[in-house]
Amino acid sequence: MGLALPWKARISSLPRERGTRVEPFEHLAGGPDAAAVDATSEDAALAAGCRSGDLRAYERLYATHGARMKNLARNVLGNSVDAEDAVQETFLKVQRSITSFRGQSSFVTWTYRILINTCYDAPRSRLRKKEVANDDSEETPRMEPRAPGAHPTLRMALERALEKLTRHQRDVFLLNEVEGFRHAEIAGMLEMTETASKNALFQAKKNLRLMLEPPRSSAAETR
Amino acid sequence: MNLNCSDRDRIFEDGTSAEWTALEAHAVSCPLCAEEVRGWKSLSIAAKELREYSDSPSFWPRIERALAEEAARKAQGAQRKRWLSFLPSFSPAWQTVLAGTVALALAISGGWLIFHAPGQKTEGDKSLLQSSALKEVESAETAYERAIDKLAAETKAQLENPATPLLANYHEKLLVLDSAIADLRAQAGLNPSNAQLRYQLLAMYQEKQHTLEEVLEAKP
Repeated sequence: MGLALPWKARISSLPRERGTRVEPFEHLAGGPDAAAVDATSEDAALAAGCRSGDLRAYERLYATHGARMKNLARNVLGNSVDAEDAVQETFLKVQRSITSFRGQSSFVTWTYRILINTCYDAPRSRLRKKEVANDDSEETPRMEPRAPGAHPTLRMALERALEKLTRHQRDVFLLNEVEGFRHAEIAGMLEMTETASKNALFQAKKNLRLMLEPPRSSAAETR
Repeated sequence: MNLNCSDRDRIFEDGTSAEWTALEAHAVSCPLCAEEVRGWKSLSIAAKELREYSDSPSFWPRIERALAEEAARKAQGAQRKRWLSFLPSFSPAWQTVLAGTVALALAISGGWLIFHAPGQKTEGDKSLLQSSALKEVESAETAYERAIDKLAAETKAQLENPATPLLANYHEKLLVLDSAIADLRAQAGLNPSNAQLRYQLLAMYQEKQHTLEEVLEAKP
């Protein structure tokens, strides 16, 4: 069963292998080990550059992660303006507190942790207000119109469904399925265990399927 | 690897590659699991719709400017800190002495400001006599006092043996005035520049003069 959506173009059930998500570093040449080594040394170089106050290091961080950071922030906050504010604030926070970064996690993981906290600390976050109010009533969609993708209706439906997830489920789904981070990285970003991250993703996807798919017939259940 | 439908959720949550392969093999002969696997994977594909890595040319310059401003502010703060960085090189005892000296200097400056504040200067001039004016007042007072003493000498006999109750009252009043004058003179001796004391003393002398004049007028 694909996702039940009010449009004809349902997602084809592509026979994909284990890779149920798009890997973040698909563009990196070499095997995973080589990529990991490269990423680690790049991470250390970025941290050292930022610690020394080198603006070029921040520019490198932006070039490597800026688009993903902004995309993540937009998916959490719902609009590009707040997302850009959150990303800028994240860079400033990194600059202010880089001396306190001890390298317990990777520098990039630490940066994303700051970004996520900044998103949820943003006073203008409508999403946060909604969580506090715990209002499940029908509201105007908080998401701003975005550039048309392949399946705009699917995206809108997914955005609305994501709003109904718990914060952890939504964050893990966005970080893993959208941004392509591994559970080990997400665990560092959200300060949870890897197992908790996997469980949150499982619950998120189960809930999303319940929201996006029509209820199964009893016949299908008994099959 | 043998597995059945009950393994499906566990594999969805935390399955290895081998387990996924086994689940997909099982799904070929199990329509329910096939549907579940398709639905599960389709969510991952749908998630791609939330990816929009658009580049905004003005965004990095904006961040860069903010970072540069923050760095400048930080540098200014560091400079201010450097100015006080000599403090830790002193021992705690010397730091205490230094702090005491600073406090004393502040107290002296504060006191100076209180007494020399522009708003209070006029009032200060009125209440405090300058040295030249003080000499003038003192000499005038001495002359006035001598004149009153002469007047008192003329009434001495009348007042020592008052013939009427009125004279007796004048005598008592003069004794009170003399006592008050003596007190004021003692205070003026301690604080000679205090004009207020001088005015009070003058008022007392004037009262004594009027009283003595009344005594003379009351002569039977």
